[in-house]
Amino acid sequence: MLIETDVLVIGAGPAGSSAAKHAALNGANVLMIEKKSEIGAPKRCAEGVSKDGLIELGVEPSSRWITSEINGVRLVSPNGTDVWLTEETVKLPEMGYVLERKVFDKHMAMDAARAGVAIMLKTLAKGLERKNDHLIVKAERMGEKIEIKARIVIGADGPESRVGRWGGLKTAVKPKDMESGAQFEMVGVEMENPNALEFYFGEVAPGGYAWVFPKGEDIANVGLAVISTLTEKSAYEHLVDFVKTCPTTKNATAVELNIGGDPVGGILKKIATDNLMVVGDAAGMVNPLTGGGIISGMQGGRIAGEVAAAAIKEENISEKRLTEYGERCKKEIGDSFNKYMKARSYLESLSDEELDSIAKAFNETEFEKISTTELIKVLVKVSPKALLKLGKLF
Amino acid sequence: MIVKEWCMYCGECAGVCPRCLIEVGETNITFDESSCKDCKICVQACPVRALIKE
Repeated sequence: MLIETDVLVIGAGPAGSSAAKHAALNGANVLMIEKKSEIGAPKRCAEGVSKDGLIELGVEPSSRWITSEINGVRLVSPNGTDVWLTEETVKLPEMGYVLERKVFDKHMAMDAARAGVAIMLKTLAKGLERKNDHLIVKAERMGEKIEIKARIVIGADGPESRVGRWGGLKTAVKPKDMESGAQFEMVGVEMENPNALEFYFGEVAPGGYAWVFPKGEDIANVGLAVISTLTEKSAYEHLVDFVKTCPTTKNATAVELNIGGDPVGGILKKIATDNLMVVGDAAGMVNPLTGGGIISGMQGGRIAGEVAAAAIKEENISEKRLTEYGERCKKEIGDSFNKYMKARSYLESLSDEELDSIAKAFNETEFEKISTTELIKVLVKVSPKALLKLGKLF
Repeated sequence: MIVKEWCMYCGECAGVCPRCLIEVGETNITFDESSCKDCKICVQACPVRALIKE
């Protein structure tokens, strides 16, 4: 079976759906393929997004896919010192929602379909070859071999990022830049504030942190991410230990287990080549400090879709033409990521004792507003090492 | 490569494989072992230790 299309998007996560939708809205003929039988499941994500991010993307919040609204943050140091940042005490411009990804992702794919995108489920891309001015993607759907002839391929295949490599991009993730994550969705979680995100730092999660993201009065995503080169234990083993000992979760029951990698090395240097672009996790569009990538992936997808449609109209799908995509991503998403990379490396360098003393100092500080930038500004004030490593950045 | 039955096909192994040798479907995983250099990065990265290199 041979299918011809202007744009082929491989992977129907939020970044892929965003790319597909915007390519279609701008006049391209678009096919999106997804290897799974259900878009959005299983999730590989803590499901947090910022309100501002959704507004910027023009996505109207819906009760169908929002499970809770967040009005505060609790930061917990290794000795249990906690720092509360809530709407009552500070302005919270970067607050947001915890999603139900399996509903949200499908909703985004439906938006793409309404814009004219064709979607094929259970379709796994197996390889790619160049032929003249187009690409041929070999795929399989439930035993059927398919060839898809596309003028532009957009790889939205997540942290696996094989599509980019087939096209000659260096999208393999170095182990030190891949956070290995494990998460339970739990019931019976005893949160002091079921509208606050909780973060736990230190040895509980080497190279990363643990989180409790509420999805209801006693329901939460409880997870953690580690850098696998910094620990002998697996992410899952760290999670089991954390859940047993953390007062918030020790009486809770898991109803779902999620695992997956999160590429936190920042946006790749090169994300487009002749006839091909990569978006979302496949392009490293993940905040290196927080690990969040839904909004940035969708922003990247929007840019990729717009550039793909314009390039097809102009009948110029060369690397030179598609370079606009990388330039716009670096400008609109990537600039701040450089700062967060440095912040991540600083956090990784802190001992449990240093984290405890920083938590103590945070408790003695009055915040005016809470954002990642503001938190780091305070960090710089209380920690000499932070001043050295981060002072000039924020 | 031995893939234990608790593999959840998350694909992290495929992302860190420096030679792009791992294909992950919805409920299956295949390794191109003929080109594998035994670096075991995939084994170390697996969040549930489902990969065992013989």
